[in-house]
Amino acid sequence: MIENPQDRLPGRREVVRVRNLAKSFGENTVLSDVNLTVLEGTVTAMIGPSGAGKSTVLRCMNLLERPDSGTIEIDGHVIDAERRFSNRELFALRRSAGMVFQHFNLFPHMTVLRNVSLPQQRVLGRSKGEADERAMALLTRMGLADKGEQYPNRCSGGQQQRIAIARALALDPKVMLFDEPTSALDPEVGLEVLEVMKELAASGMTMIVVTHEMSFARSVSEDLIVMADGGIIEQGDPKRIMAEPSHPRTQEFLRAVLQR
Amino acid sequence: MTFFTDAAAFLPVLLNGLQVSAILTLLSLLFGLPLAGVLAFGIMSKNRVARLIAIAIVEVGRGAPALVLLQLMYFGLPDVGITLSALASATVALTWTTAAYCAEYLRGGLSAVPAGEIEGSQALGMTTADTLRYIIIPQGWRIALPSLMGFAVILFQATSLAYTVTVQEMMSQAYSLGASTFKYLTVFVLAGLLYAVISIPATWLSVLLEKRMARHL
Ligand SMILES: Nc1ncnc2c1ncn2[C@@H]1O[C@H](COP(=O)(O)OP(=O)(O)OP(=O)(O)O)[C@@H](O)[C@H]1O
Ligand SMILES: [Mg+2]
Repeated sequence: MIENPQDRLPGRREVVRVRNLAKSFGENTVLSDVNLTVLEGTVTAMIGPSGAGKSTVLRCMNLLERPDSGTIEIDGHVIDAERRFSNRELFALRRSAGMVFQHFNLFPHMTVLRNVSLPQQRVLGRSKGEADERAMALLTRMGLADKGEQYPNRCSGGQQQRIAIARALALDPKVMLFDEPTSALDPEVGLEVLEVMKELAASGMTMIVVTHEMSFARSVSEDLIVMADGGIIEQGDPKRIMAEPSHPRTQEFLRAVLQR
Repeated sequence: MTFFTDAAAFLPVLLNGLQVSAILTLLSLLFGLPLAGVLAFGIMSKNRVARLIAIAIVEVGRGAPALVLLQLMYFGLPDVGITLSALASATVALTWTTAAYCAEYLRGGLSAVPAGEIEGSQALGMTTADTLRYIIIPQGWRIALPSLMGFAVILFQATSLAYTVTVQEMMSQAYSLGASTFKYLTVFVLAGLLYAVISIPATWLSVLLEKRMARHL
């Protein structure tokens, strides 16, 4: 069953609209006719078996992957995959979405402070002083005030992921995209990151989170998307879906994860 | 102890030659390394024509022995109306060799920068130029640096080939000393020692630098 989140959470603005998204790699059709809407200030969790296409959806949303067809709209910036678009349109779309990767993807040759500060200077044109100040404020919020002059590889995985979150937040994105942000971390360390994400959600950030953390999906997210075989098979209230999944594939998947 | 008295007499002449060897090495690096950078981007370019030209220059530069390029520049070019001095033709030939080898080292270094970091940069909305400038180039050239330094040592030794085109570098000085005194053994042992005195510490330096550079990677 696919519910429109507007029916459950009325009166909120649609910040993300993905329509008729399709993507193949050669012969392999990875996504077909994916549609999704995300409301301002909500957390949408995305779950599903490996290979379902979850990462590909996120990567298409900021055009790290060029979709074959479909439109992506984030905060009023629209890109139609089948039309030509300018670099200006591409960068505008990317600026409105911050992305956090499973493996952090920090810049190892720069200090932690510069990791967070440089993109602000290059992308938003902030002065170094302004960017450093914002970076320090965010690092402090992430509990990393003393790590500024450190190099990323000297930090633990959980710290690195929080640095990556700070780096993305520093550009004031409208939406944050998380692709399994805790999968590469030990469970205890993953908790630090989940705490930060909860706080971010509570502050009103719009978030799309691909995750295998069922408790996070159940307790933090307002909307749950289940993907299988390149499509969305179920969308709606997380508690409802986890208690009584309507699609047999969802039942099978939930049974497999919850039994672990 | 005639070795030491002879060596003392030969040393100033050989040191003059060593100076020419060093100048030839530095000139070839000075022109060759920037050219190598251009060629590395040429090889990776999406533009087919640029790519083919770059590949051709690199493959000839690596395929042809430095000795052949030296002869070509000094004895061959006058046939098409270009006459270069001995030092200039040796510089052109060794610049070509340098550019060709170092282009490959640089290309290897640039493509060794992890794809995840490049995506991280793109996802932040950084332009392709900024991603190159701040992420790919600073890390790529550090990855290539040990190979580049190793090449510089080999280049320094390869300048000895320039004696074949009458450049007055150390080898040619050694030959003329040998021919006039017949003390070939002393002369060549001394020349070998002088090459080693430069090459071995340079190799140590490159290992040291490699360790320092790898600290944050
Ligand atoms: N660059 C690529 N080239 C070819 N095939 C790809 C590429 N990226 C993804 N795929 C394929 O697309 C399909 C969906 O991959 P995707 O990474 O989106 O799945 P996922 O739902 O994120 O899985 P996981 O839970 O394992 O991360 C897989 O079959 C994968 O092999
Ligand atoms: Mg994935």
